[in-house]
Order: sequence, then structure tokens, then C-alpha cells
Amino acid sequence: MTAPPPSVWATLQTLGSSMDFQTKVYRNDTSGLYLWVSYIKPMVDIETVARSIFPYLFHRPFSSLEDIRQALPIDDAYISSDPNDVKAKLLEGYLFVRLHETDETGLLIKAQKTLERTLTIPEVEFSVVGPKESFIESLETNLYLLRKRIPIDRLTVKMTRVGTLSKTKVAVVYIDGIANPDNVQTVLQRIEQVEFDEMIDSSYIVQIISDNRHSPFPQLLDTEHPDRVAAVLAEGKVAIIVDGSPHVLIGPTTLVEFFSSFEDYFLNWTIASFFRLIRLFSVTFSILITPIYVATLNYHYELIPKDLLGTLITSRREIPFPPILEVLFLELTIELLREAGARLPTKVGQTIGIVGGIVIGTASVEAGLTSNVLLILVALAALASFTTPVYKIGNTIRLMRFPFILFAEMWGLLGVAFCFCIVMTHLLYLTSLGRPFLAPLYPPRWRDLKDAFIRLPFTSQSKRPETLRTEQPIRFNRKKAKEKRDIDE
Amino acid sequence: MASVAERLQVSPFMTFFVIVSMQIGVGVLGFQRVIAKTAGHDAWISVLLAGASSHLILIVLYWLLQQADGDFLLLHQRLFGRWVGGALSSLLALYFAAMAFVVLRTYIEVIQVWMFPDLKTWEFSLAFLFLCLYITVGGFRVVVGICFFCLIIPSYLLFTFWFVLDYTDFYQLLPILDHPPSTIVKAAKQMTLTMLGYETILLFYPFIKRGNQSAKWAHAALLTTTLFYALLTVLTLAYFSEKQLQRQIWPTLTMWKIVELPFIERFEYIGIANWLLIILPNVCLGLWCSSRICKQLFPVRQKTALLVIAAICFFSTLLIHDRKEVDFVNTILNRVGFYFLYIWIPCLAGITYIVKKVRGNV
Repeated sequence: MTAPPPSVWATLQTLGSSMDFQTKVYRNDTSGLYLWVSYIKPMVDIETVARSIFPYLFHRPFSSLEDIRQALPIDDAYISSDPNDVKAKLLEGYLFVRLHETDETGLLIKAQKTLERTLTIPEVEFSVVGPKESFIESLETNLYLLRKRIPIDRLTVKMTRVGTLSKTKVAVVYIDGIANPDNVQTVLQRIEQVEFDEMIDSSYIVQIISDNRHSPFPQLLDTEHPDRVAAVLAEGKVAIIVDGSPHVLIGPTTLVEFFSSFEDYFLNWTIASFFRLIRLFSVTFSILITPIYVATLNYHYELIPKDLLGTLITSRREIPFPPILEVLFLELTIELLREAGARLPTKVGQTIGIVGGIVIGTASVEAGLTSNVLLILVALAALASFTTPVYKIGNTIRLMRFPFILFAEMWGLLGVAFCFCIVMTHLLYLTSLGRPFLAPLYPPRWRDLKDAFIRLPFTSQSKRPETLRTEQPIRFNRKKAKEKRDIDE
Repeated sequence: MASVAERLQVSPFMTFFVIVSMQIGVGVLGFQRVIAKTAGHDAWISVLLAGASSHLILIVLYWLLQQADGDFLLLHQRLFGRWVGGALSSLLALYFAAMAFVVLRTYIEVIQVWMFPDLKTWEFSLAFLFLCLYITVGGFRVVVGICFFCLIIPSYLLFTFWFVLDYTDFYQLLPILDHPPSTIVKAAKQMTLTMLGYETILLFYPFIKRGNQSAKWAHAALLTTTLFYALLTVLTLAYFSEKQLQRQIWPTLTMWKIVELPFIERFEYIGIANWLLIILPNVCLGLWCSSRICKQLFPVRQKTALLVIAAICFFSTLLIHDRKEVDFVNTILNRVGFYFLYIWIPCLAGITYIVKKVRGNV
């Protein structure tokens, strides 16, 4: 049995089961013809319809749909009899005009309503200096923000639709002639292969197209800064913009990139490099300090010099728990506070932070449940983990601490080293769009180190990252950029 | 030539890291006592001698590899036929597996003596071998990555020897050449276990892009380790008196005890924990080489071979109970390594040379 060919009439019947789908009959005053106008009310901009469509439909003489099309001041209007097309366009907010109720052919007129919030300042990746625009939920606006910054014809946008239900528009943006075609191809291919129904946000895409989907490490960088995206496009990377998501994905990326704030580029290179080193140090500190506390107090108290040991013992004298329980108790409290703070409205969240941080902290020390040295360490570790400029890697660091603590409990410092080796191996396995995730450290690309742990001045950034294998490795002429002056000239 | 896809290969420069990280292992913690026992305060000359000889052997190794188009096992087969050649190659596989096992067991002993007397051998051995499997399954690139990081990260330990300098007396080294040449050479022979590791080039050579360019990096690696060992020997000889040194099984660890920072005492704990990173490439590359030979010789997948070898290593570590036995396997491995590199390789080179002269090609 073959299904009957779908007809426009049947399509309209299906849509008609929804209350917001309307078909109205109007009469043209001059030619006396009747018009059946169908649309989905919430999707249509009533103002446009009343001002620039209806006057042409009802007050001008015409004899066919073609006449109307030519008279209309709207350029996106065409005659269609393809039921699927009619359905898709009606759902997007087009008017469908027929001369008779049962006509299979009609005129589709664009009258889409577009509601979007205005450009605001970035809220997740806050920066003190530098541009304050951030991406919003509209793909067109986001593309505008990029095009405005890179006004060249080689900026290429490839568009696909993803999601069987949501039909979300996904744009892959790159600069032709700079970005490596392999990278572009990988991204396009992976997006094509996405099987999903309701694609809500770019974070869905990350989880589906990442090289290793089970890794806690994010393998594509997401940012809400148009300036950051423009800068990395110029480096030869590929950006993925998902309609409805204010976060744009960038790839291929590397681990060190997650620890570089885009603000680093707005500051003098000496200061920026210093901040970067501080950040790397704080991340290491944040992961390792509580495991080391557990390890030393459990197994290697000989490691601690006499004077310091005195302080530690005094602070722990009253504590009835072994270090591991003490640490887990405090770490979980901090996680709890963080989670509560993130879920609550801003104003309440602050109060909770103060109540939790000060009251619980002080109270637990006074009650003799935790030592105040540990309280300081845990608070410092939490603080240090907030220095990560990319939110998602911050989450990874939150999680990473726990396996380290468990290994420290088992084998002391040896366990910490062991867990470190596991993490290192995992990172060695990881790739981002097929490019090594640990580059430029391994495989070593010495020249790329100019923008890894430290950021050298712009004059020495004349080459694009080697790891990306760009088509045009030179960014600008280094000799022209570098000023050469002799003494007293 | 054994064809290896380019995406699996590493740059010639990485040879340096592989060889250095392979050479530096548990040996560093205690080699000084052994050579000082024989050559006294002239032991450092033995180190240099051992280093110089290893350079010569490396030249021979590269020459052999070139004769065999990069595949050492093929050389065995071409010279001795399928069965004898295969048997020789399997011995080599056994040797590399033994290397992984001996290194691991010696390290466990260090931990048991210095850190955790109650640590169960099987517990740590099992966990460690699982980690090694995780690494080795990733293929040569991941193993080299581990070699790289496990050399770079612990390199900060070098600075700790700065603290030792305050307590050294370099006059203890005088008079130079106080011992007869024969004892110095004998000490150099004892040094070979510590120098071992560069023979892995025989197996991983095909995995290097433009393999012939790696020779200079391999030599640079040997030079680096030789200088490092020589400096460490000099430092040890200047730090300990000769009699005192004989009572230290692990002089390097004892030297760390003197390191004192405002917030750290007993630095050797950190040193031993860090030494895990130094051991890791040794075991991983040993397992990798061994399983690679099995893959080429027998119709098995490398993964299967790896599992079997790791299991054998695991059970072997359980068989060793005390210091004496650890010392015994170390001595055996030392001897095997010495015979392999200094007797077998020159013989093989001689045979290859003659065959080449007679047959015209190998």
C-alpha cells in the first residue's frame, strides 16, 4: 500500500488542528475576488502584515497570484505548490494566500516575527577591558557581529540544519585560505552526522561531536565574545554557531587555550604573561593542595618541618575524624555552596555565599569538626579554581580533585603521582577535531609556545599556530612590525 | 622496511626524549655504590668510559639498522633463517619484558623500604601495570608522550642537588686515576645496567619519521645521560666518604635527605613519589617493545601479546620477596644486557659484514 501523495490541502488540514493556525477569507474591493489567507498567528508580525501586505491584497486590482507577487513590496514572496515547502514556510511565519479554498497552489509571503534580546555585555566571561559586546540567541545577529569584525569575502559560512524536530540552523564559519580544509571538513562532516531530535544549544553539539565524548575535559572551546571568535578565526580556526545559543564553539583547541583569558591580549604582554602563569599555578594548586594535605597528614608527616608541624597538630588536636573525612566534608560543603549559589537568584545567591562561607566555615572549626588550616586550604583551592577563564574547564577542575583525594588516601604522595600519570595519559589520548589536545607541549611545537604559558608581544606573534596547519602560516610581516632604532636616533 | 603509517610516526627529535627517559630509571637511585665498590673515587671515570662505549655501540646499532632497512628482526631472519632468527628475536622480546619487570620490582622495593613498609607488592604492581596497559594500548605516540612528560616534569629534581653542594668535599676525588685501569673498566661494565635503554632504538626505529636523522638525537641523548650520571657520581663521591657510601643501597635517596626547604623536610618522599614518573616510561616502553616483537614474530594481535606480557610481569613481581632476590634479578639483567649489547651486537655486525661481502647484500 502506498501512501497517497501529500497535498497542500491535507497539510493545511493537519495544521488546522492547532488553535493558533488561522485561515481567513477576504474580498478584494476592486476586482471582487476572494482571497484565502492562512498563517500561524504567533509566528507572524501583525504590524508588517497590516502595513505592507494587506493594502496590496485588498485595495489593488489583480487577476492572478503573480500580479500580487509583483505588486508586493516584500521581496521574499513566491508561488508554491509543494506541500512540504508550504508547511515549512508556514511554520516559519509566512502567509499562504490562495484564490480558492481548495487550491493546491498559493502565494507564500514572508511576514516573520523576529523577537530577540538586544546585545548585552558578556556575563559568563567577564573582562575588565576590551569590547563588551556578546553573542545573543539569534544566528543572524551573531553572524553580523562576526562579519562586522572580518569584512572580507573569504569569510565563509556553511549552513546546515540539525535536529529532526528542532531543525536548528547551524553555521560553520571559517576564513577560506587560512583555515585548514581538513579541519573544516571534519567539522562539517561531524555536524552532518549528528542524529538528534531537539537541538537546543551549542553545548549539545559539543557533547555530540567531540572526539572523546566521555572525557570530562571539554574539547571545543565555547565563548560568548565575538572579538575572541574573530581573533581565532584569523588564526585559522573554525567556529560553529548554533541558532538559539549565545555560545559559539571554536575548534581545534588545546588545553592551554582553556587557561588563557582573552583579556590577556588586551594587556601588555609582561602583565598578561604574569597573569597566565598565576592562573596555571592556581589551577595546579587548586587540584593538588587538598590531596597533598591528605597524603602528608596520613602518611608523610615527616615531610613537614617541625615548626609547621606544631601549628598543624594544634589545629588538628580536637578533630575526631581522619584527614580524608575532614577534607571530603569541607570540599563537599564548598561544592554545595557553589551549586546553591549557581541555582539561586543573584541576590539570594550572594547571601547564601556569605552565610555558607563564613558561618559554616567558622562554625565547623569552632565545633571541632575541621581544622582551620584545612579550611584555609579548601577556601584557597576554591578561590583558585575560579581563576579559570573558561567556565567549562572550571567544572572539570572541580571534579578532578576528588580522584586525587582518593588516591592520596590510598597511597599518599605516591597515589597523587599515580593519579597525575593517569590524567596525563588521558590528556595524551585526547584530540580536538583530530589535532592533539596537549599541543604545543606534546607533540612539541616550540614556536607555538609564544602563546601558551606566556604571551609574547604582538611583534613576535607573526606566525599562526603550527598545530593548526593553516594554509597561510604568516600573519603579518614581522620585519615591518618590528621597529629598529639605534641609540639616540 | 616495516611500513608504519605516517600518522603513527614521531619526529626524529623525539628520539632524544625516548632514549633519555628509558636510560634513566631505578638505576640512578643506587648505581653509585656498586661502581664505587670497584673503582673507589675513580668511579666517575668508569661512568664516562661506559658512556663512550655506549656511543660506539649506538653507531653499530644504527649501522645494523641501515643494513636491514630499519627492521632489526628482519636482520635476524635474513642471517639465521626463519627458525633460528625467530628464536633469537623471541629472546629479545623476553629481555624487554624482563626489563619492564625488573624496573617495576626494584621500584616497588624502594617504596617498601623508604615509604610504605606495608605496601603489598601485588597491589601496587597490578595498579601500575594497568596504568602501563592504558598507556601502551594508545600506541607508540602515547608512549612517546609519556616519555616526554616523564622526563620534562621530574627534571626539576636536578635543582635539589644544589642543596647537596654545601656538604660536599671535592678533595675526596683526588688523586685521580688511583685505581688500576682493569678495575675502572670493570666498574664501567657494572655501569651498563644504568646505561641500558638505548637498545630500544632497534624496535622503535621504524616509528621515527626520516629515521636516519634520528642518529644525532640518539647520540645527544647518550651524551646527556652520561654527563648526568658522571655529575651525579662526582657529587656522590664528594658527599659520602668511601666507607659511608658502601653502607648506602640508594645513595641518591640518602642525598635527598639533606634537602630542606622552609615548608618541606625529608625531601626523599617527594623524590620517590616523583620517581614514579621516571619509572613509567621504562616499563611502558619495555612492554611496548616486547609486544611489538611478538606481533611481528607470531600471528597475534599486539593487544593480546601486551596483555599476556603484562600478566607475566605481574606474576614475576610476586615471585621476588626480598632485597637479595631483587639484587639477583638486577645482576642477571645487567649481565644479559651487557652480553647483548657488547658481545652479541658486535658479533652480529661482524656476521652482517661478512655476509654482505659474500652475498653482496644482506
